Formats: sequence, C-alpha cells, structure tokens
Amino acid sequence: MRPRLDALLRTTTFRLALVQAGVVLAFVVAMLVYVYFATVGQLIRDSNVLADQEYATLERAYAEGGMRRLNQEVVERAARQGPFLYVLAESNGVVVTGDFQQLPAAPRETPERVDFSFERVDENGEPVRGRASGRVGRLINGPILLVARDLGDSAIIAGRITQVLWTVAIVGLIVSIVSGLLAATQAARRAEALSNTAREVMAGDMTRRAPVRGVGDEFDELAEAMNAMLDRLERLMNTTRTAGDAIAHDLRSPLTRFKQKIENALDAPPDTDADREALRKAVDEADRLLNMFSAVLKLARVETASNWRLQRVDASEILRELAEFYEPAAEEQGLTLRAQVQDGLVVRGEHGLFTQAVSNLIENALKYTPSGGNVEVRALRRPDGRIEIDVLDDGPGVPPAERDRVLERFVRLETARSTPGVGLGLSLVAAVARLHQGGLHLRDGLSNGDKTGLGAALVLPAAA
Amino acid sequence: MRVLLVEDDLDMAESLKASLAADSHEVDHAGDGELGESMALNGAYDVIVLDRMLPKKQGVSIVRDLRGKGVSTPVLILSALHDEDHRIEGLNAGANDYLGKPFSTRELLARVRSLWHGRDLGPATRLQVGDLEMDLLARTVKRDGKKLDLQPREFRLLEYLMRHAGQTVTRKMLLENVWDYHFDPQTNVIDVHISRLRSKIDRDFAQTLLHTVRGSGYRLEG
Repeated sequence: MRPRLDALLRTTTFRLALVQAGVVLAFVVAMLVYVYFATVGQLIRDSNVLADQEYATLERAYAEGGMRRLNQEVVERAARQGPFLYVLAESNGVVVTGDFQQLPAAPRETPERVDFSFERVDENGEPVRGRASGRVGRLINGPILLVARDLGDSAIIAGRITQVLWTVAIVGLIVSIVSGLLAATQAARRAEALSNTAREVMAGDMTRRAPVRGVGDEFDELAEAMNAMLDRLERLMNTTRTAGDAIAHDLRSPLTRFKQKIENALDAPPDTDADREALRKAVDEADRLLNMFSAVLKLARVETASNWRLQRVDASEILRELAEFYEPAAEEQGLTLRAQVQDGLVVRGEHGLFTQAVSNLIENALKYTPSGGNVEVRALRRPDGRIEIDVLDDGPGVPPAERDRVLERFVRLETARSTPGVGLGLSLVAAVARLHQGGLHLRDGLSNGDKTGLGAALVLPAAA
Repeated sequence: MRVLLVEDDLDMAESLKASLAADSHEVDHAGDGELGESMALNGAYDVIVLDRMLPKKQGVSIVRDLRGKGVSTPVLILSALHDEDHRIEGLNAGANDYLGKPFSTRELLARVRSLWHGRDLGPATRLQVGDLEMDLLARTVKRDGKKLDLQPREFRLLEYLMRHAGQTVTRKMLLENVWDYHFDPQTNVIDVHISRLRSKIDRDFAQTLLHTVRGSGYRLEG
C-alpha cells in the first residue's frame, strides 16, 4: 500500500488536487476577511459613530454645567439601561459613577478609541459578558469620561457568521482534498493500466492492448494512439517474420536454376556458344535475384524509414507521362491503354515513389490482361478532396476473397505463377500508399463479357 | 583512357579493375577516400569512378572538394544509396553520373565510356551520325536529306543516342536520362520504344544505324 501511496503523492494529478485545495483555502480566507469587515467591522464603526456623538453631547453638558451636570447626565443615562455604557472618573482614575467600577483603559490627554470586553450583572442578577466599543478621554480640568456601545447581539451574529465561514472553509478544504485524491487515484489507475500494457508488450505479448473505456477522455485518446502504434508494430513484426520465410522460400528456385545452369555448363563438353548462352542465362537469374533483393530492400525502406521528404507532386503530369510511356508496350501486346486524367491533381508525396507505385499498377494490369483487352488509367479529385488514381483492366481479375491477400508481400496467386515477377509489386504500392497517408484498394475493374477485371484504386491526400 | 577507381571493397575493386582493363582502360585503384582524393588531384585521369561510402572520406565530399579545387574530371558515383535525394546530393556535389548498386558491369562500362565521350560535346546545335542529322534548334531530323517525323519523346531518345553514338547505351541509362525514371520496369517497354524509333529511322534505308547489343542495350552507329 505504502509504495502506491508514495507513487500517488508524486503524481501530477495529486499535485493539481493540492493546488486546487490551496486555491479553495485562499478564497475562503479572503471571503472570511471580507465578510468579517463587512459585518462585524461595520457594526463596530457604526457603534463608534454613535458613541462619539454621545461623548460629544456629554462633553457639551460638562462645558455648560460643570462636573455636577455631567455627573447627573451620566447617572441618568446609565440608569436607562440603553445600549450605551458610561464611566465617569476623577482625574486620578477613581470612578465616580457609571456602569463599571473600573476603567477598562487609562486615558491619555486626547480622547481615544477603546474596544473592550466586560462583564456586568443584568436586571435579573445574571452576569452578562459582552463586548463594547467607544471612546475614552480626559475632559478639561481632569475628569475622565468613557462612552461605549455594547455590541451585544451584533457581536453574537458576527461571531456566528465567522464560525460558519470557518466551518465552510474547513469542509471545503477537506472536500477538495478528498475529491482531488479520488481523481488522482482514478487517473493513476488508468495510467497504471497503460504502463501495464506497455510492460506486457515488452515482455513479449504483442497482442496486448490498452483498455479503452469509451468515454473519449484524454486517457482514451492516449490508449487509442498506443493501440494504433502497437497494431502497426505488430504488423511490421509479422511482415518481417513472414517476409524472412518468404524470401528464403522464393530464393530457392532462382538459386537452384542458377546453380543448375552453371553445373550443366561445367558438365557438358566445352562448347563456346553453348557455354556463353548458359552463362548469359545464369547472369539473367542473378539479375532476377538482385532485383528481388532490391525490391525487398526498397519495400523495407518505404515501410520503416521516416526520412522521406513529401512535397507537392503533379500527379496529372506524371500519370499522363506514364500512360504515354507504356502506351507503345501495351499496343505491342495487343492491348488498348487509355488515360482519363483530370487537370491539376497535386498530391503530397515523394516523386520517385509515387511514379513507381503507379507504374507498378500499370505494369500489373498490362501483365495480366490478355491480348485484345483494355487498360484504363483514371485520376480524379474525389468529393472528399482526396485524389483517386484508378488502374482498371478487363483481364481475369482477382476473386474478392483474395484481394486483401495479394497485397501481402510475396503472395502470388496460382494463376500468376507462370508470369515473371516476385509478388512485391502490389505490396510496394500498398506501402507507398500508407507512407502517403492513403490507401490501395482492389475492386472490380472493367467488365469483359460475363467476367470482370481488376481495378486498383490508389487514394492519396491532395497537397495543401 | 585512364580511370581512377576509388573503392574500399577489395573483391569488387579487383573485378571492376579487370573489367575496365578488359575494356582497354588503364586503371589505378585507391582503397580509401583520402588516398583517392590525393590521387585524383595528382594524376591525370580521364574518368573517376568513386564509391560513395568510403573509409576516411566520403565520396560526396571528395567530389565537392575536387570541384572546389577546379578538377573537372568526369566523376561517376557508385552507391548502394540511390534514392532521389541521394542522387541529387551526389550530382549537386559535382558528380556527372550516379549508378546504384547492384549494377551490372556492362552498365558501368557503358556509363564510363559515355562520360568520357560526352564531356567535350558542348552545346552543339547539330548532331550527325552517318547520314542521320538532327537539328536541335529547328527540332528536325533528316536522314539522307529526307525529313523524319518524330514524336517529342522519340526526338529526345534519338538525341540521347546520337550524343552517345558509337557507345553502348543501356536500358537503364535511357530510362534515367530520357524519362527520368529510376525504377526497373518489369516489361520490355524500353525495347518497344526503341523498336518504334528504329522503324522510323532505319526502315526505309539500306544501312541500319540503331543496333541492339545483346544483353546490354543499344548502340547508334553510322
């Protein structure tokens, strides 16, 4: 439990909860101060004004009628049991008359403000504690006069208000700390789920995924991003694993042919022309092997390297040039190659990879379409703003169930075994599409009697 | 001609030396970048063949420094790194040609010859091979005084072949220099373009100018 608590105390969320509690506390204190001065402070100020007026009245009575008159006034007023409290004392401080037998403060020459607590006995003989605020001063020739106002009920109200405010402050502080702690625990638990997933994946279980609650908060976003990353990693790991097997498998036949051709040449009696031909064929096989390796390396680089520089690429121009480039070859094969390309299609991409991807699609279509067939290159801006490049043929097509599979590397359908190639062309196009944040989709192509050819759609984001 | 080969892989260097020598070039070999550069500065070479990744000094820096010192010997960079960015970097540094590994020896020999041959052509406005004439300003082609009608791309293809007349030009060189494509088409598309061009320039004439060099490429010869 202890380490978890320590960990919780270190979390950002917990610190934020503390900060929040601090802010609540500061606010409550500020409010207390304000309310105190607005209530209790105002009461005291009002009392003081009244006490000052009463003091002035008595001062005037003393000026008019001397000590005797003042004494009389004080006695009368004190007897009325009003809100005011009076004390009249000799210049030496000995009390002459008034509500108390003692002065709460020794006066100076100038009248000053006093604020004191007192205790006296009420009409019923009960001792009453109270607070009073007023003025004390020395009159001409020495007598001391104190006039104060009993703060009475208002002091009690002010005390209550203060007490309530303190209660609110303490409860608020506790609530904010507890809610902060709960939030922190919750957040810590979700962060822990994410790190657990990461640990399990590191331990070798590539199929683990972070839990997504479906509330769409930032933890869900983080979990989804992490899961997408893990999906990609898993796919890359799988392709690496299967590609290794596939390379080993696919290399076997050209290497065997290569070896056979050289062995045959060595075994047969020397014959310059035949040897030369055998060596030439061996060189062709070696070229095929090198091409396969180049294709594998290129595919790996497209899939894993991140340093491709994507820039504006004029797709319309490249597509028209490619169509023009392949048109004579198509004609030679007895095919019709047509291009319907909208103007001004600009994709964000890498020039060389884009050109190669589209040329792979065109070559694929030319390779599998029998003589007399049609191949069409179409390019348009879709309503969603993306650019779609379709290469359609009316050849034998690919059954819908096989379409995903032929995008995987080294996969060649049985029907394609007789044609040259290594089964990386479409994988490369798919990888190029992913690199460009687009996609390659295989679907029906041009119809040809009761059959339908293959359509490859390369969908890429348009350049900004 | 004298060729300087800068290549650190000794097996490859030996086989390239043998091939270049068999093609009647005189070859000097340097096994690292620094030695290669000092030999390039001090020897009179007609063509330099330079590996890109070398010990001590990289091929691209060597070209840049040689060009900075006024050495204008044609340089062909050989490299396993041959994406557009790498080629641009090499060519911008001052290399005249860039060949990706793996390459065929025939390809390399064709490019070495073409570098040497092509370097003094300058900005000619007329090219002539046998009775075939090309006017680059008027953009017309005549054979035996008879005007031939070529498509713009066929014109560029023929121009490239004429500029390298007498040499073997590989399919890859045509792809790179005429179309600026840097991938290997799996189809015979280049052969088809050549055969169309051939039908235009050779069909009605007794002497054949455009020859196929088996296993390598093509040669235009008067």
